Amino acid sequence: MIWQQFLSLAGSYPLALRGLGMTVVLSLISLVLGTLLGFGLGILRTGGNRLISSVIGAWVDLIRGTPFLVQIFLIFFILPEFGIELDAFTAGIIALTNLAACFICEIVVAGIRSVPTGQVEAALASGLSRWQRMRQVVLPQAMRIVLPPLVGQYVLLIKDSSVVSAIGLTDLTRVGWLVVQRVPNGLLVFFLVGVGYFIVCYPLIMLARRLERRMGAAHGEVQL
Amino acid sequence: MTKTGMIDFRGVNKWFGALNVLKDITLSVEPREVVVVCGPSGSGKSTLIRCINGLETIKDGDLIVDGQRLGDPATNMTQLRTEIGFVFQSFNLYPHKTALENVTLAPIHVRKIPRAEAEQAGRELLAKVGLADKVDAYPAQLSGGQQQRVAIARCLGMRPKIMLFDEPTSALDPEMISEVLDVMVAVAEEGMTMMVVTHEMGFARKVAQRVVFMDAGAIVESGTPDEFFSHPRTDRSRAFLSKILRH
Repeated sequence: MIWQQFLSLAGSYPLALRGLGMTVVLSLISLVLGTLLGFGLGILRTGGNRLISSVIGAWVDLIRGTPFLVQIFLIFFILPEFGIELDAFTAGIIALTNLAACFICEIVVAGIRSVPTGQVEAALASGLSRWQRMRQVVLPQAMRIVLPPLVGQYVLLIKDSSVVSAIGLTDLTRVGWLVVQRVPNGLLVFFLVGVGYFIVCYPLIMLARRLERRMGAAHGEVQL
Repeated sequence: MTKTGMIDFRGVNKWFGALNVLKDITLSVEPREVVVVCGPSGSGKSTLIRCINGLETIKDGDLIVDGQRLGDPATNMTQLRTEIGFVFQSFNLYPHKTALENVTLAPIHVRKIPRAEAEQAGRELLAKVGLADKVDAYPAQLSGGQQQRVAIARCLGMRPKIMLFDEPTSALDPEMISEVLDVMVAVAEEGMTMMVVTHEMGFARKVAQRVVFMDAGAIVESGTPDEFFSHPRTDRSRAFLSKILRH
């Protein structure tokens, strides 16, 4: 009986690959866009403008304080009420990018704030413009703080992408739902789904750990 | 138009909250003049020189630097800062850049000097401060005295009209102080306009034309080093000198 279920599952591998592909593509696109947007928001948030800074702060809090499932429903089901029709893929990308950007914004802000004031003063005193100070002095030093949690955030993003199955995108999780209707063994099916996610995430987890160790060692932290 | 110095404080006041950190400061520094500012900790001496390049803003009065009034909408602060070198107590070298990159960063990006030319000038400057062999070292690989000399070279790389020093030797081990002071003396002897916050009285005697003594945000006394050290006129300056010269 188990054997038959295995055979039947093996037959679904093209579907599983499609699902895995969808998960990877969704994650990759929103990871790239979310990183760009997150850095932009983080830089603006630490800039001088109070209004811009507090608007970004409020948006980030809102997104971080509401379930992702609710956000994706709002984008996919509520926006059309206002005449904005999005296909599921676009809606998924927008929701994931926004979520990633908000978390990355906070990581970038923490990194920028970790750079000692004296560094900014030295850059100011030598006449570097605002953008030059950011690009040449602040960001390179902030990256040391930013990089490990940034990669960690990518892992969370890949896992959060499973929520897009709720609006009908055939990602890895949805493939699980489809397959389990034919092969009535939820434990086995979703175990395999979990393995799929793990295979994608594990290299990133290793990368985050290595970065953390390297960044610490480069700055002479005590090895506990 | 009255004659103005390179740096001209006219009735400058500044508050940190309720605290009047600069009280009615009037002081003029001539081109090529070296002025040493001293006084007890918290007397406002660092704040005074930090106002000159706009790291601090003033509340009222006028501060005119190189003919430009600070706080005036017509004054381009970023542009003015390129004419003013600032040496910090804690060096503030960029830790992710080598000594040479620290020196060439602003010349390349602000002055738009071609990289090869800036690097050539940077090497010469590092040689001048005695660090020809440390061109490719990162700040973490340098001693405090070496870092501060790189910091001075970094300022000189911009060919400034004015150099400001905020307690440049206070964070250094005693044996490294003289190597930094020697470089500062050399800069002074080339005719740089300098304001130096320091308690290094040997340096003041050697190169300063004037010593300004501050206490509680006000300039209490000002005179030639000889006058000030040998015949301080106020009780407060006498008390201060007896403390720092005791050893």
